Amino acid sequence: MVWVVPILAVLIGGWLIYQNLASRGPIAQVSFETADGIAAGKTEVRCRSVRVGMVKDLELTADLKAVTVSIQMDRHAAGLLREDTRFWVVRPRVSATDISGLGTLLTGAYIELEPGNGPQGPTSFLGLETPPPTNRNVPGRRLVLTADEAGSLLVGSPVYFLGMEVGRIETRDLAPDGRSVLYNAFIRQEFGDRVRENTRFWNTSGVDISAGATGIKVRTPSFQAMLAGGASFGTPDGVDPGKPAPDGMSFKLYPDEDAANSSLFNPTLKVLLLFEQSVRGLTKGAAVEFRGIPIGRVTNISFDYLPSGKDSRVPVLVEIDPSLLRRSLEGRVDGTDAKFLSTAVDRGLRGALKTESFITGTLFVDLAYYPDAAAEKLTQYGDYTAVPTVPTGLEQLELKVTTILNKIQALPLDDTMGKIAKAAEEAATTIAAARGTLDEINTTAAAARKMLEDPEFRGLPTDLRRTLDDLQKTVSSIGPDGSMQGDLMRTLDELRASLRSIKSLSTSIDEKPSSLLWGRDSSGNPVPRAPRVKH
Amino acid sequence: MTPRLPRAIDQGLASCHVCGKVTPVNRGRCPRCGESLHLRKPLSVQRTVALLLAALALYLPANMLPVMTISELGDVMASTILEGMVEFWHREAYPIAIVIFVASIMIPIVKIVALVWLCAAATGKVHPSPRVLGRIYWFTELLGRWSMVDIFVVSILVALVQFGAYMTVTPGPGALAFAGVVVLTMFAAMSFDPRLLWDRLEILNASETLQPTPNRE
Repeated sequence: MVWVVPILAVLIGGWLIYQNLASRGPIAQVSFETADGIAAGKTEVRCRSVRVGMVKDLELTADLKAVTVSIQMDRHAAGLLREDTRFWVVRPRVSATDISGLGTLLTGAYIELEPGNGPQGPTSFLGLETPPPTNRNVPGRRLVLTADEAGSLLVGSPVYFLGMEVGRIETRDLAPDGRSVLYNAFIRQEFGDRVRENTRFWNTSGVDISAGATGIKVRTPSFQAMLAGGASFGTPDGVDPGKPAPDGMSFKLYPDEDAANSSLFNPTLKVLLLFEQSVRGLTKGAAVEFRGIPIGRVTNISFDYLPSGKDSRVPVLVEIDPSLLRRSLEGRVDGTDAKFLSTAVDRGLRGALKTESFITGTLFVDLAYYPDAAAEKLTQYGDYTAVPTVPTGLEQLELKVTTILNKIQALPLDDTMGKIAKAAEEAATTIAAARGTLDEINTTAAAARKMLEDPEFRGLPTDLRRTLDDLQKTVSSIGPDGSMQGDLMRTLDELRASLRSIKSLSTSIDEKPSSLLWGRDSSGNPVPRAPRVKH
Repeated sequence: MTPRLPRAIDQGLASCHVCGKVTPVNRGRCPRCGESLHLRKPLSVQRTVALLLAALALYLPANMLPVMTISELGDVMASTILEGMVEFWHREAYPIAIVIFVASIMIPIVKIVALVWLCAAATGKVHPSPRVLGRIYWFTELLGRWSMVDIFVVSILVALVQFGAYMTVTPGPGALAFAGVVVLTMFAAMSFDPRLLWDRLEILNASETLQPTPNRE
């Protein structure tokens, strides 16, 4: 009867031991690069924080390049050893993006197991050095983001929606063509439906400082994003979100929110603009505006678009959404883009570079109608149509000044200068002579003054009056009833008589010049003598 | 040689194992308390041996399975008795290590061995001197209870050291097995009727002096 006890005891003891032994599952060999933090007999293997095994032994591999960790799996976890089961060491990670595994600071690292979906069987695995992306069994949306530049978006950076963290960036890789960066983003299940086909993703890393004509804007979404980067997504206003995005859908990652919002346009039209002036200050991604409304972006600035050599204009390739432009051209909303463009150009559509900010000197492209512009046509360069351009602003001013200067240069200035020089010389001499004349005039004036001041001269007017009176008397006397006339007649008669006598004298002289000496003798001719009359 | 004092067993008097009243055994039951009367504990050796075997059976798991698990800042350490002892030794807590060794390893084994030996002596397999027998029996009785020290340690630790993440002690299956061992050895010691030893001596003496001895029951 009492022998039941020992039998029972044996059974119980045996069962305890058996249970202990039997709870051991298979042994898995996992190879890691380093056994840092792993200790035999201590380090546990967990799957979702449930213990599924224990590290039994550590061994260097034969080539001394890796460590083989022998793991004693628990029996109930034997089924977790599948073909694509993954092992990685969970060490405390305190980084700006992630504070996790802090328990491991205290407990030491543990090995995390993520069961795969493949067939069971293998017992030898290659351990991962870094934790893989979110456990693929965790429900959620997995999306691909493409960015031109990695920026400060890191693996583990959070993904925000309306400021809330809804997911994280899992991996970061160069695209196969090496021209962009591919991110795998994981969005948690409950927010997965927020991502729609027309959702835009943008980079909200760090601090976004933009200085524009309106001023300086500083934006940062959160401290964590500032340290560790982050991406945000949303649907821009006025855009129909569309259906929820399926897993694996690819999105473009815009560099910032403004870029994402302005990506509303559908840039269907690529147009080439050739500028004669310098495009310094114009960058890729600069806005293309029509009357102040952004309708596109500068895609590229390169001489590749022009056939080689002779043209020195700078080609700027822009992509625009023509719908807004079309509306501006009343009455012609339909028709192909090409036709529309040509009509618009006929009406004066031109491209111009305008200054966005005088401080930074950035430029943007402005399309506008210039009704006074010289008529031009669209030209074709390779695949792209070129819209004609006009110089504006400073450039136009420069042009006008240049024309004026040219005109000035064309003037015959040398001749004119010569002539002026000569004229100046003559003027100089004339002035000298004039000066001499002036001096004489001065002296004359001085003499005249003296004369004027002479008292005799003062008497001159009265004398003159007297003289005038006398003259008047005289004139009257000379006049027809003047006494003078009678006298004059008598004088004249006497004169006549005298003349006759002179004449006879001269005749006698002529006949006998010796009469001057001998007098007149009577040659025998009787000469009658008239008696002398005395008056 | 002193005259042999009369022995109760020779006169068929049994002492009730509950109240102690001495009554002739053929009365069957004690007139005072009503318990059944036995001259000697019935099947004493059998019981003792059985219990000892049980204790041995449980001794193996007691040493192989962890007695207690100490979680110190997440560092989980399950230790068997031996491991605990070694741990303390390494930490230079020599007295504790010695105590653990003595109380948890030496004493149970010694007790089991002693009881086995006593059973052997009671059945005439070995013939030690009465003094040795006495000593050993006294020793066994004395030490028996001290085996529980280890269990007390474990239970006190488990009860007191519950500091959450900083330090938590949980008992392991080894402790249960070990407690079983100690309890079983205690029962084994209780089942053993030392009077059998003296009976055996009597038999020996009697075989020397050719006196008839009553059969032990």
